[in-house]
This record gives sequence, structure tokens and C-alpha cells, in this order.
Amino acid sequence: MNQHLTEDELILHYYGETDADTARVESHLESCAECQSAKEKLHNVMALVDSAAPVEAPIGFERIAWARLEPALDRNARSGWRTFFWFPQWALAGGVAALVLAAFVAGRFTGGDGSAPASPGTVVAHVDPANVLQAAVGDHLDRTQMMLVELANADVDGADVLAGEQGRAEDLVAINRVIRQSALQSGDAQVVDILDDLERVLMEIANAPANATSNDLTDLQSRITREDLLFRLRVIASEMRQRNQNDREAGDRLPQRKMPTS
Amino acid sequence: MDERDPSVVAKARSGDRDAFRALVEMHSRYIYSLAHRMTGNAQDAEDVVQEAWLKAHKQLSRFEARADFRTWMHRITVNCSIDMIRARRHREDAHDPSDLEQGPLSERGAEAQPTPERVAASVQISDRVNDALGLLTALERAAFTLRHVEGMSIEEVGAKLGMKTSATKHSIFRAVKKMRAALEPFAQS
Repeated sequence: MNQHLTEDELILHYYGETDADTARVESHLESCAECQSAKEKLHNVMALVDSAAPVEAPIGFERIAWARLEPALDRNARSGWRTFFWFPQWALAGGVAALVLAAFVAGRFTGGDGSAPASPGTVVAHVDPANVLQAAVGDHLDRTQMMLVELANADVDGADVLAGEQGRAEDLVAINRVIRQSALQSGDAQVVDILDDLERVLMEIANAPANATSNDLTDLQSRITREDLLFRLRVIASEMRQRNQNDREAGDRLPQRKMPTS
Repeated sequence: MDERDPSVVAKARSGDRDAFRALVEMHSRYIYSLAHRMTGNAQDAEDVVQEAWLKAHKQLSRFEARADFRTWMHRITVNCSIDMIRARRHREDAHDPSDLEQGPLSERGAEAQPTPERVAASVQISDRVNDALGLLTALERAAFTLRHVEGMSIEEVGAKLGMKTSATKHSIFRAVKKMRAALEPFAQS
């Protein structure tokens, strides 16, 4: 008797994601009553989950939703600014701005002579502007990668997927430009290169015509594939993470600098 | 105004406030349920509904007229929910429903007709499933919902949530195991 299947394997099998293991898993299930029983129990639980009705909105919610929304629409129309700031594109935009500012400040005040203007006795950690930029780039690349993966895998019949991503693409273009400028100033040609390519694709998404068709989506998907964008993104994002990790480890080994009391 | 009329979307696209209101009133209950399933609580679901409509309003001119409006709103709502979950990832606060300790459902027969007992049982099943979902962390819930309900592959779920595939797998494994532990006593054998 082969070794019994693990619960994880049964879950992957339920979702059809056993990949290369499918034949082995199915062959085992055919010959093992115990695992077959475990599989049936899992399927019964999932059937129970599927049978549950979704949580209903409170009575009159549609009117409450409108009453809450209408003033926000008016505010949007007047100011052009969005009401909620908890969404990551804003958090990220703010974060990037803060990081770029931090990089600037760090560059100004953590010079090689150690004569940073700080309060006497203040303990300051050394901040390398390059590390700050790396962190911002890594985060931005991850988010861009998520969107491109979604578009690359979108059903070509559903061209409205483009419309659904345009707002996000606009936000990413804005962030892309801020980071590109910083990368240009720090002389990171590899990052500038990928950000240039990303900007072109993000602009294409952000400016897609209102009546975008499945052909537009197919063109975009071809471009993502043709330029190996996802692969290049993964490589550079991975490099960024590795660089950050190395820098963190190096930073952990460095003693904190105590500012001289004068 | 008949919200089912496709021209409502066209009117809303051209800036007709009454038409947009009709769309909001038509679809808000649906997107609330979707947002609640993703986020797991009423307050977050309401915030997601609000944000989804603001996004829709902003992007309405780009909506492909031949596409299905509800499908478009569904996608926006899922994205808004994910954005919220990612932004609040640190708030991993599973809670502990008490009524999962109650006995098995008494009425789960094979009657075809929805008798009052059967309706009551179905409500109980939904409550138990929703309670079990409440045992999941925000991330586990999002990963499970995207995989189980939205039908995304594990790799796609990872991409959506900004997680590695291996971490996504483990989130889904943990979610299913928790659901199984909570619901197995009530599942038909």
C-alpha cells in the first residue's frame, strides 16, 4: 500500500491543482478506501459551503448606499480627489513619496563624515537612500506584476477587464514616474529600463478607448508576452527582494551610530 | 426608471444622475453580499460598496456598452475588497463564534419541497458556514474565497493578493482545514 495522501494533497486534488501528481493521487484514491473516504468528507464539507446563502444586505441597504454615496460623488465632482485613502494605491503613492523624501533626507543628512545634524545623544540608524528606493521599487513592481498577470490571463471575450483596471493603471503610472525619476538620479539603469517599458504598457491600459474590444485586449496580452514583461518583472522584483534582504542583513550587523554630544 | 433597461447604463454613462442612482439601487445588494463574503464583516462590506461605486462612477465612460454591467461591477468589487484586505493585512483578527458547538442540524432530509423546517435548516447551514468563515483570518478568507468562490487558480490568487504561490497554498490549506473542522459534523456523510 502506498503512503496515504495528505490533507493538503486532497485539497489540491479537490481544486484540480495536483498538476504533475494527478495520476499518482488518482491512482491512490482508486485503491485506498481510507483516502477515498477522506476525499468524500472533504467534498461534503465543500458542498455544504456551496449550499450556504450569501449574507444579505440589511433591509433598505440600496437606499442607504445611495444616500451615503451621493454626497461623495458631489465631493468628487467638486474636488477631483477621492474620498477614501485606505486603498493601497494611495497608501503606496503616499508611501513612495515618503520613501523618496526619506531617500532625499537620508542622502542629505547621512553623509560619509557622520556629521549629521541631530540632537546631542540621539541614536540614529544609518539609512541608505539606495535601500529606500529599492523598497519602493520592489513594492511597485509587485503591484504592477499583479495587474499584468490578471490582464495576461483575462478571458479575451471580457474586454471590460481593461476598463476595470484603468483607474489602477493611472495610479501606477503616477507612481512609476516618481520612482523612475529617483532611479534615474541614482543611476540604476536596469530599473530605469524596466520602468520605461512598464510606463508604455500602463499608459496603454490607462488610455484604452472607451469602446475597447477583445482585439485591444488581445493586442495588450500579446505585447505583455512579446516583451517578456512578466518574466522581466519577476526577475527584477526578485533581485530587489534579494538586495533588500542582503542590505537588511548587512544593516543588522552594523552597530547603530551614536551621535556625538558636543 | 426600469433599472433592467440597458439604456440606463447608457444614460448613466452620459452623466444622468438618476440613471446612476438606478444602477446603485439595482446592484448594491448584490455587491454588498460579494464584499461581505470577501471581507467578512458588515462595516468593511459597506466601505467596499461605497468605494466600488465611486470607482465605477469615475470609470463609467470607459465601460464597454456590450459588456454585462453586473459582471463589471463584480470585478471592481473584488478588486476593491482585495485592496482593502491588503491594506489591512496586519489586522489578522479571527473571531470565535460560539454556536458552532451546537448539535448537528436536525432537519437535513431529502425533501424536494421547501418545508418550513427545511428553510430553517438552510438558514442554519448558512449561519454555520458564515460562522466557520468567521474563523478564518482576513487573508485566509480572501484566498479561500478567490479560489473556492471566484474560481481563480492558486497562482492567480497569489498574484491578486501579492503573495508567493507557496504562501497562497498554505493560506488556502489552513482555510479549508478550519472550515472542515468546523463543518464536518454537519456535512452529509
